[in-house]
Amino acid sequence: MQRIILWFTHSVVGWVFLRFFVGVRFDQCKFLLQEKQFIIVANHNSHLDTMTILASLPWKLIGKVKPVAAADHFGKTKTKAKLSNYFINTLLIQRKRDKENPGNDPIHTMIKALDEGYSLILFPEGTRGEAEVQQPLKPGVALVLSKRPSVKYVPAYMKGMGKAMPKSDSLIVPHASSILYGRPALIRSNDVTDILQQIEADMNTLKDKH
Amino acid sequence: MNKFFHLDFPEQRDIMMVVILIFGILIFASLLFFIIGKLKPQANLSELKSRTRSWWIMASLVLAAVLINTTLSYVAMAMLSFIAFRELYSVLGFRESDRRAIFWAYVSIPVQYYLAYIGWYGAFIIFIPVVMFLCLPMRMVLKGDTVGIIKSMSSLHWILMLTVFGLSHMAYLLSLPDLPGFTSGGRGLLLFLVFLTEINDVMQFTWGKLLGRHKIIPKVSPNKTWEGFIGGVISTTLIGYGLGFLTPLSDLQVLFVSFMISVSGFVGDVVMSSVKRDIGIKDMGATIPGHGGILDRIDSLAYTTPVFFHLIYYIAY
Repeated sequence: MQRIILWFTHSVVGWVFLRFFVGVRFDQCKFLLQEKQFIIVANHNSHLDTMTILASLPWKLIGKVKPVAAADHFGKTKTKAKLSNYFINTLLIQRKRDKENPGNDPIHTMIKALDEGYSLILFPEGTRGEAEVQQPLKPGVALVLSKRPSVKYVPAYMKGMGKAMPKSDSLIVPHASSILYGRPALIRSNDVTDILQQIEADMNTLKDKH
Repeated sequence: MNKFFHLDFPEQRDIMMVVILIFGILIFASLLFFIIGKLKPQANLSELKSRTRSWWIMASLVLAAVLINTTLSYVAMAMLSFIAFRELYSVLGFRESDRRAIFWAYVSIPVQYYLAYIGWYGAFIIFIPVVMFLCLPMRMVLKGDTVGIIKSMSSLHWILMLTVFGLSHMAYLLSLPDLPGFTSGGRGLLLFLVFLTEINDVMQFTWGKLLGRHKIIPKVSPNKTWEGFIGGVISTTLIGYGLGFLTPLSDLQVLFVSFMISVSGFVGDVVMSSVKRDIGIKDMGATIPGHGGILDRIDSLAYTTPVFFHLIYYIAY
């Protein structure tokens, strides 16, 4: 049931809204079906980012991909947490690491979700930034990938969403936007800095393609 | 219900003739490129082919909107303005503090088309150039960010003028009152305008390719030549004369109006080219394959529509 609701909200209503009202140009991502598991790594400027990625997913992946979101924002109250878990299928994490308490530790939570078979959508810039300005990547994604090196990451780059709905303003003003997916890739090294550099290079290639 | 499914066009002989003519031309073009492609496989026709394919889609959409249901045509044209507005504003680079003003500019689109729908001429004609042009700067000023405000104010005005005000005259054509003895009505006029504008684009392109030698404005549009322009104006004026039965005008008036459509279509085309040149892009987007964005297709309409409307309005109404 949740799958059908997710499909209807994102692939039908969300897609039509994004495509025709906001003016988003989608990219093919059928190639994701060939991967058993993956982490979509994307830049983050707007709430529309998550909606766009979810709307572009093929039917078979719906319900199996969890956007990672900050618990202090999307899980402020129990109802809010329940709603975002149900309608966006989020994986809520704390922003800060908590090594004594693995249940609260973001890295541990993400690895657990991967082990359960879910794929993830991750915005390594952390919070939404200013439109078209890339912020330094946070190491969380690299820590997860280094612990599960067999999982591929898929870079995605979105442009224009931060203009249609920036962080400072909840009013949506339609602005032509687009999303591009890169090829799935394995990490080349186990070192956190190297992984972050690899991902950042991939993102920059995509950025130049827009 | 009757108002919603307005299917009297088969009785409208004049309009039906043009519809058949349009599809005849499209079939001819598709066959021509298909045969040339078979005879000369090395010729690069992909651009022409994808352009023809887009023409099929656009012609069907326009005709469906114009013929089947008049109420729906207003909605379809408002959406055209909406997409064109979004396309142009997205490439012009506004400041973040302009968002609220832009939001109100978006809101003006349905209002303008509603005014056309109810046929309130006085309000329709001042709503954008007076009401919006005065109010939008006020909204920007209330935000308080004055750095670069002149650019934002004037660009927003120009976008509204090109993509909303000019095009909305197409919708008002459908709201014009009935004239005694003139059966095609607003739909005939709309068909005349759109067909002539697009055929003018094609004619200027074709003559330019065939004979083009002397460039008109090489700094703006290197492909525009005097030969293409003059050939286009002459052919369009003659074709317009042949289609005069769609309008309530006399022969001489039709010749003049067609001539004006041709010239203003050229102007609209090069104005949009200069805008693109300034921003440094070739096409406005990729909404239609082979055609760039919507704006690349309706750049000439943004000019021909108000010119044609006011000529008709002055002469016949």
